[in-house]
Amino acid sequence: MDKLIEHLWPILKQITGYIYPNEIELHWGILIVIYPYITGLVAGAFILASLVKVFNVKEVQPTYRLSLLTALAFLIVAPMPLLAHLGRPERSLEIFLTPNRSSAMAMFGFVYAWYLMAVLLLEIWFEYRRDLIIWAKEGKGLKKWIQRFIALFSTDTSEKSVEFDKKAVKAITVIGIPSAFLLHGYVGFIFGSVKANPWWSSVLMPIVFLFSAIVSGIALVLLIYMVVTLVRGEELDIVCLDKLASFLFYVMIVDFSLEALDFLHRLYESEESIKILAQLISGKLFTSLVVIQLLIGMILPLIALASVKLFKLPVELRKHIYFVSTLLIQVGIFATRWNVVIGGQLFSKSFRGLTAYKMTLGGAEGLLVSLGFLILPLLILYVLVKILPPWQVKVKISSN
Amino acid sequence: MSLPSAIFFSKFNSFFDNSYEFSYNVTPLTMRKVKLLWNRIPDQLKRLLIPVILVIGLFIAMRHLFVPSDFGKYGHYRASAVEEVASKEIKYSGHRVCEECHDDIVEIKKNSYHRNVACEVCHGPAAAHTQDPEGNQLLAPTGRGYCPLCHEYLPSRPTGFPQIVSESHNPMRACISCHDPHDPKPPTVPKECEACHADIARAKALSHHVYLSCTQCHETPPEHKVRPREFRPKKPNNREFCGTCHSKDAPSPKEIPRVDMATHGERYMCWQCHYPHLPEVH
Repeated sequence: MDKLIEHLWPILKQITGYIYPNEIELHWGILIVIYPYITGLVAGAFILASLVKVFNVKEVQPTYRLSLLTALAFLIVAPMPLLAHLGRPERSLEIFLTPNRSSAMAMFGFVYAWYLMAVLLLEIWFEYRRDLIIWAKEGKGLKKWIQRFIALFSTDTSEKSVEFDKKAVKAITVIGIPSAFLLHGYVGFIFGSVKANPWWSSVLMPIVFLFSAIVSGIALVLLIYMVVTLVRGEELDIVCLDKLASFLFYVMIVDFSLEALDFLHRLYESEESIKILAQLISGKLFTSLVVIQLLIGMILPLIALASVKLFKLPVELRKHIYFVSTLLIQVGIFATRWNVVIGGQLFSKSFRGLTAYKMTLGGAEGLLVSLGFLILPLLILYVLVKILPPWQVKVKISSN
Repeated sequence: MSLPSAIFFSKFNSFFDNSYEFSYNVTPLTMRKVKLLWNRIPDQLKRLLIPVILVIGLFIAMRHLFVPSDFGKYGHYRASAVEEVASKEIKYSGHRVCEECHDDIVEIKKNSYHRNVACEVCHGPAAAHTQDPEGNQLLAPTGRGYCPLCHEYLPSRPTGFPQIVSESHNPMRACISCHDPHDPKPPTVPKECEACHADIARAKALSHHVYLSCTQCHETPPEHKVRPREFRPKKPNNREFCGTCHSKDAPSPKEIPRVDMATHGERYMCWQCHYPHLPEVH
């Protein structure tokens, strides 16, 4: 009891106006912020990969495999914050074994499984199969066996079979695009369909989520590509960077317009909640929404990327701009998720008061665990890159 | 690679690269058709079949092992759970059983405000008592802690529902010393409005308006005390009403603050700036 009071007392002091007793403590904390953030990165990274295969954007080819592996690494971690938040991970099996078709949340398991197994793993398998056979032939020890196992002991590297692989990759990517839309659109749907919460309840939510996902995914792959290439001591492909930044810029404009539309729509509708929402934006969410999400995460990178397009800047400066912009975008998109999840719980259903969110350092839902979930995908990506190196692509393609 | 594993993988791979010899006991024609069909499937798809079959097989096996056989018979739950719950010991008897013996209480309660409060809400589970009335006596709460569970003042409770602030409502006295729980109408109906509008009364207590009776501003039909939502008190609806005390030429005591009604506040109503129950706060 004393511990509970110790935890609640600082929150109680920050409450303004009138709130209901069960609104003092937020039910969805930082773990639920991380979940849509990571899922968005997955969807965005995959959409970037589809640019190469479906839309034939040859310039971004160097990031194709990297974006697939990034999507996989982050997808593996995506449900973990949810499981940590719910506290009984073994029960998650129930959503598969006894599916509840009337629950959008329960259906996530199937959306996730479809995307993981029918899209991402299959595409990676077809994409890497031929290389895996070649690497396994040349390799030694455990790595050789792992690569043979991943290739399902396939040995056929004939032109016909490689041709089939290419066709399969293209077909899967075509199916993958609506699947990626489904995966992240679904996350937006979960929030958008909470009709009791005016901050969430909006049909635009899935679309806004989707575009912010594409923004974050492209920005992340661009960032990882830059860091990894620099660490490897290789030369950055500036044509690829320019093209990626160009796509990033256009998607950001769409994302910005959608968010502005959502904002204007709410403002014009001026439903009964508008006063408390205005209070929320100008008060408790001012730093994370106006300063971080809008100014640092959207306007600044937009200006930076626009200046690259408008002026003929030197290559080195462009690289620096891309690096800083993608970093800022990551911070901005994380703030977007924060503002949706935490912001939606900060105001009372009475529309007469605001509560506060206090994050703990330790514990299953604390800051340390959350940082762990943000670092874990990068570690998984490191292992994936070791087993399935993505940067021989360029050599292979030029030799083909 | 050791010899046994080499043999295994050559057999394993021959299964996919169309050199595997099928030896089932079927007619040569069917065999040829199957083989033809099998050979047309690309090697990759054949290999992928293994994990696909494994995943589907695992799913079917887990469903078989972990999902109770009667799940989904009535709805999204285990059908036998209904029987399990039904077989639990019954602790409540329901008010009809009580009324069979306690007809004197029924008589008192039937027209009271508590007519819809079941006996066991206050007296607790009575199934054992109905089986053995002498051996299992029921108790009723006699302290001040129980009634406020429903009757303590809470802003979210409906207007008109009898509420008290137990700290100031006859402190130290047990509720049942004034109220008969079976017919809880107070000995005298509250004369003042604060019995229900405690929050307003508390605000007004801090203000100079404490000396005004509620009815001076709110013309109230007497039925309001019995059916508060149907018979509502009136509210002042013009500036002149406040002016009867606060205008320059009002015939009220001279210590009351005055304003020039023609210029003060212009077109606004008085209560848009001054909360009438506590006008000292802006």
